[in-house]
Amino acid sequence: MSEQELSKKNKFMEWVDKRYPWTDFWEKHLSKYYAPRNFNFWYYFGSFSLLVFVMQILSGIWLVMEYTPTGEGSFASVQHIMREVRYGWLLRFMHTTGASAFFVVVYLHMYRGLIYGSYQKPRELVWLIGMVIYFCLLVEAFTGYVLPWGQMSYWGASVITSFASAIPYIGDLLLTWLRGGFSVTGVSLHRFFSLHVIAIPLLLAVLIFVHLVALHHVGSNNPDGIDIKKHKDKNGIPLDGIPFHPYYTVKDLVGVVVFLFIFSCVVFFSPQMGGLFLEPDNYVLANPMVTPPEIAPVWYMTPFYAMLRAIPNKLFGVITMAAGIAIMFVLPWLDRSRVRSIRYKGIYSKIAILVFVICFIGLGYLGHEGVSPLRTLMARIFTLGYFGFFLLMPIYTSYENTKPLPERVTG
Amino acid sequence: MMKRYIFTILLALFTTQFSPSVWAEEPIEGLELETAPINRSDMDSIKRGAKFFATNCVSCHTLSYLRYDPIVKEAGIPTDKKPLAINGVVPPDLSLEASSKGVDWIYTYLHSFYKDTSTASGVNNLLFPGTAMPAILAPYQGEQVRVEKPVYDLLHHVEWFDLVKPVRPGSMKPDEFDKAVADLTNFLAYAAEPFHEQQQKIGYWVLGFLVILFVLMYMLKKEYWKDVKRHKE
Repeated sequence: MSEQELSKKNKFMEWVDKRYPWTDFWEKHLSKYYAPRNFNFWYYFGSFSLLVFVMQILSGIWLVMEYTPTGEGSFASVQHIMREVRYGWLLRFMHTTGASAFFVVVYLHMYRGLIYGSYQKPRELVWLIGMVIYFCLLVEAFTGYVLPWGQMSYWGASVITSFASAIPYIGDLLLTWLRGGFSVTGVSLHRFFSLHVIAIPLLLAVLIFVHLVALHHVGSNNPDGIDIKKHKDKNGIPLDGIPFHPYYTVKDLVGVVVFLFIFSCVVFFSPQMGGLFLEPDNYVLANPMVTPPEIAPVWYMTPFYAMLRAIPNKLFGVITMAAGIAIMFVLPWLDRSRVRSIRYKGIYSKIAILVFVICFIGLGYLGHEGVSPLRTLMARIFTLGYFGFFLLMPIYTSYENTKPLPERVTG
Repeated sequence: MMKRYIFTILLALFTTQFSPSVWAEEPIEGLELETAPINRSDMDSIKRGAKFFATNCVSCHTLSYLRYDPIVKEAGIPTDKKPLAINGVVPPDLSLEASSKGVDWIYTYLHSFYKDTSTASGVNNLLFPGTAMPAILAPYQGEQVRVEKPVYDLLHHVEWFDLVKPVRPGSMKPDEFDKAVADLTNFLAYAAEPFHEQQQKIGYWVLGFLVILFVLMYMLKKEYWKDVKRHKE
């Protein structure tokens, strides 16, 4: 670029910056946002979540162009997309795979926060906003799953909305209000469509923005869980920090290509994922007269579904399930450890994390399978383990011996 | 492997001991689906299957989501028909049968009709006991009857051919019939996912592109990260 061109560009940016803080924004969030230089594998999943969100919005926009949100037309319009719309199958498989991929990356993203204590002071709000995003995602996924109006859509919607009826006194009224009638009908489908394509995506976009603003205000945590702002150079730049752009943007691009490779393997070669991502029963039009032999939610909701089924009483089952999600919100106030990262926590925390992972995956598996006495017993044990991890945390994190923290980041 | 055998034996013992009525109206426990010998890229097989469908299936079944499908048109399968009820049961639309039931299920189901005078149609099915579908393929396959006390190896799962035996030959030899049913199954797999071929073809290109992109991105990352100094204690 010649000097003349350069000055022309600067003049243009000057003009813009006087009217809109573009350069300020760019520097605050990218080119002068100093992230710890020791991010590892677990730190890809935040970027991946953002990528999947954008992909879901884009594929969703095109799907809505051909989709009919009515009880009569929905199922056929999905088949129209799959067969007659050019590359319609690609759009739909990207969207269905994207739904599961979203939960894969978000669960790994949350797990990262869990093991490195990214929820601890001063990042409590980052975690809380993230949890609200997670909850919105569950609602988004549920409302989206109803839209193809297959058997699982219908019966899944019936089962999940029926949780509302467990609430004493107002339960039945609430249920009717949610469904828009006494049972799940085309009216319910239509309102879920509205929530799925407008209300929740809009909310998610705002929440993701707020999540990032909160993060960039306090700065990113790192695998050592130590504060990089303690050691700064004479310009006030953390010695262990590197600008997010270009360092982490180029690093994340490598990760994005690997992610897209795995994503494409599913989209092009196994979009049903053996019935995990798209259930066989959902290829049958919704029929209120025929109940499928097994009604199980999609894999990302099965841990909580298993908790529900583990409790014999409906109201307490629903309470347990809701508590399973709610307890994650208060995590920042349960951890009393002096250190953030699992690397420097004691043996109890390490065992607790292991137990938690086994219980969560175990519950996920059990929620997907049918019921048997042994499985119910297992689900109860895993539910105890799941809650034990959280409820005992104030105790085991305060009494265990932690390792000394390094002054500067390692690795 | 050993574990699986032990499990199978236990399962077999359990079922014989506690459920004497296992051969009645419920689907047979442990009945393995036969893997459909189909090649989904074999267009000739799909077209033969479409012809077979046009000749044998269209009087009852519809393919309502394949209105504009070239292969369906070519085979002369009518697409504007309403399904007729048989004995009060409306035969299902088969556009998505391969997705909801699976190709192995279809292949096994079409093989496992047997004579049963207790039903309205005079036949029954191992995989779908009490099915309303008549043995439309019996003229080709021949007639089969249930083997009353099946003799089978406990170490292996039961397949449909362990539980029936032919009593009258049909117009096709067994391997001809297998081939015809495989073609029909292949056509139904096509009917459920007409985009399958295109999907696979694009898929390989996309993966190839991503491999090249990975190399480029990895080099770009290396180049940028050269100047990130590592702190050593």
